[in-house]
Amino acid sequence: MGDGTPPRRSARAEARVVQEATRRRVLIATAAALPLVIGGCKGVGALGTPPKPAADVAVTRDAMTLESTLIARYGAVLTAMPSLAGELSPLLAQHHDHLARLRARLIIPRTGAQPSASPSGTPSPRPAPVPGTRAGALAYLRDAENAAAASLLAHLDAAPPSLAQLLASISASEATHALVLGQGRHR
Amino acid sequence: MSPSPRPGGGQAAVRALQAALMAENTAVYGYGVAGAHFAGARRAAAVRDWVAHENARDTLTAMLTARGGRPVAAAAAYALPFGVHNAATAVSLAALLEDRVAAVYLGLVALSEPSLREFGAAGVRTAALRAAAWRGSTLAFPGFDVAPPSAPGTAARTTHS
Repeated sequence: MGDGTPPRRSARAEARVVQEATRRRVLIATAAALPLVIGGCKGVGALGTPPKPAADVAVTRDAMTLESTLIARYGAVLTAMPSLAGELSPLLAQHHDHLARLRARLIIPRTGAQPSASPSGTPSPRPAPVPGTRAGALAYLRDAENAAAASLLAHLDAAPPSLAQLLASISASEATHALVLGQGRHR
Repeated sequence: MSPSPRPGGGQAAVRALQAALMAENTAVYGYGVAGAHFAGARRAAAVRDWVAHENARDTLTAMLTARGGRPVAAAAAYALPFGVHNAATAVSLAALLEDRVAAVYLGLVALSEPSLREFGAAGVRTAALRAAAWRGSTLAFPGFDVAPPSAPGTAARTTHS
């Protein structure tokens, strides 16, 4: 806490800025060199041909579409019946968790690989109309949860082990959502 | 004198089935403890779930035997993760037992055999449903992020006297 502290600190801060900039430049240079290194290992052809997506990518994308559709349905119900927010918000939050966990498995290339197909991770364009009653709306979501739970298990055999586990877990979560939406039966 | 395991991940399957059997044995024991603190509808639910775990235990025992495995025997008592003195802690125990059962069935889903994957997924589902019924709320990822069941005698706090 001496008199010379502020200038020294600012000098140090300046030095850090310079250092940081240098480090960033080094990182950029390293990143730029990386493809060359990898390319050098695999031959020149490796640079030109992008690898074709593995089967688990398709399974993951399908699951993401299912989650996005469910999220859209919850959104439609909440828009029509905001009074259900207390009951539905925890379930909706878990669907966002599902979607995030699935998306984390993908390193999505932004190179326009599938321009026309429905982009995964965005809400489905046409959710069915929401029934007008509270009971009807809950049944609408319950049916959607049950359908999604079954669809996720249909992909089970095509998935590598860790993805199969994630699908089974999400499917089970959705089965419990259907239970809660059904009657809210607690023990 | 057990026959050699089936080709195609037989050892892994037996290990995963044994883990499931151990969790089911623990659940059968745990429901016995929890059930003593319930009355009425909750007691009926606990009995129903207890029977379900007994049935699952028998199924797993048969599956292990068919694969040449030697089913692990149930212990006389298991360490509980926390004190169970009343209905509230008994509910917590039931939910935790189901979380752990879900976790071991999720282990079966990682196997290569399609029938075991389906069996495992069904096990995760039924355990998650029972857990949600006890807890009154749902989990985003049943079977994941669950503390594994402690081996008998190694729990932090045991409440058996």
